[in-house]
Amino acid sequence: MSWDYILTILKPMLEGAQTTIIMFLVAIILSVPLGFVITLAMKSRFKPLAWIAHTYVYVMRGTPLLLQILFFCFGLPLLPVIGEYLVFERIVAAGIAFVLNYAAYFAEIFRGGLLSIDKGQHEAAKVLGLTKWQAMTKVIIPQMVRVVLPATANEAITLIKDTALLYAVAVPELLYFAQAAVNRDLQLVPFFVAAIMYLLMTLVLTLLFKALEKRFSYE
Amino acid sequence: MTYSIEVNQLKKSFGTLDVLKQVSFDVAPGEVIAVIGPSGSGKSTMLRSLIHLEDITGGTIRVQNQMLVDDGRYAGATEIRKITDRMGMVFQHFNLFPHLTVQANLELAPKTLKKESTKAIRSRSTELLAKVGLSDKADAYPANLSGGQKQRVAIARALMMQPDILLFDEPTSALDPELTGEVLRVIKQLAQENITMMIVTHEMSFARDVADRVFFMDNGEIAEQGPPEQIFGAPKLARTQTFLKRVDMKE
Repeated sequence: MSWDYILTILKPMLEGAQTTIIMFLVAIILSVPLGFVITLAMKSRFKPLAWIAHTYVYVMRGTPLLLQILFFCFGLPLLPVIGEYLVFERIVAAGIAFVLNYAAYFAEIFRGGLLSIDKGQHEAAKVLGLTKWQAMTKVIIPQMVRVVLPATANEAITLIKDTALLYAVAVPELLYFAQAAVNRDLQLVPFFVAAIMYLLMTLVLTLLFKALEKRFSYE
Repeated sequence: MTYSIEVNQLKKSFGTLDVLKQVSFDVAPGEVIAVIGPSGSGKSTMLRSLIHLEDITGGTIRVQNQMLVDDGRYAGATEIRKITDRMGMVFQHFNLFPHLTVQANLELAPKTLKKESTKAIRSRSTELLAKVGLSDKADAYPANLSGGQKQRVAIARALMMQPDILLFDEPTSALDPELTGEVLRVIKQLAQENITMMIVTHEMSFARDVADRVFFMDNGEIAEQGPPEQIFGAPKLARTQTFLKRVDMKE
């Protein structure tokens, strides 16, 4: 193993890592708020909406993410009538699949977070004259955030690694370049380089969430 | 005379269970009412109905001459809010906001409702913390307080809204016995300040000491009511006597 070799593969792999990071950021930034909206829908008193939200979560969690990615990349355009309007670039189609899939997981995490908040918190907010919305934003959500942080960190780390599924739809990301180099050069090194890059990314996330947990601990 | 609270034929059922059967009473402004009775007799439900934490099944509730419920029909949302805004409540389990410091607990609602300046809010929260003897805990989080301290913060938080009527739902039942004294002292002090209070309690000596009138609730109704000397000294009903004898033995 030579440093020169590592340097030659580093550039394309860093480019791939860039795609990985962008996909991660887009997916997390969109799926967290969408997940919370789904949580609220699941708790809605309007039963049809709650039913749709629960079914949505069931389907997205109950089928493989890879299947969903393939469906959005290659399945959507095959739909009758509307199919021709649903042809996206593969990275966009895959991105939609990531967002929709992770939103379902986040929805369940947030629902659990809301369930963990004692009923007395709602009552205290109410007798102090806060509206439901004020109680939600000032009392309930700040407490929910702390409860859901560890599970959210877990999902974020899984998401970083799941971006490797882009490989299946030939979007060139980190793993794609590693695999290409391994095939071309008959070298194992690119796999290790890729592994180290994933580890670095998850390390950053781990530290970030540790800091957040500290920030949100109140004692 | 304008009553603080007038309740007529209040009924509350959970499914087929009638928790409150027919509760009627009046409370005069500044009066302190202690509500005693065995667990499951409907004391807490009655109190919670007054501040609209429970939807009642039937009956009438008037607060300061405003109709909260008229023969089972609730007033509109704005009207309800206006009425319940005049009331405060202290819970058995304190229900402090754990993510906020003590002072922030006091200030959250007034700051959110924006009816007065931040400066006025701060000066009142400082004053109230001094009143309940917790000035040194302003920046502490609830997790680092004892039960008695938490309940005193909760009382100060309720007072921040300057209510005319304050409801206490078993304020010392979740406390270790040696911590009840500090909370009861604060409540007693408030009782002398012309604020109307209803206190659901299991502390009989406190009830006797602080109340103008005592309601004995049993089986979903106010079985007997009167001045403390009468209820504790010469209860008329056999079930009141039985209840008092039972708690007496425990004490």
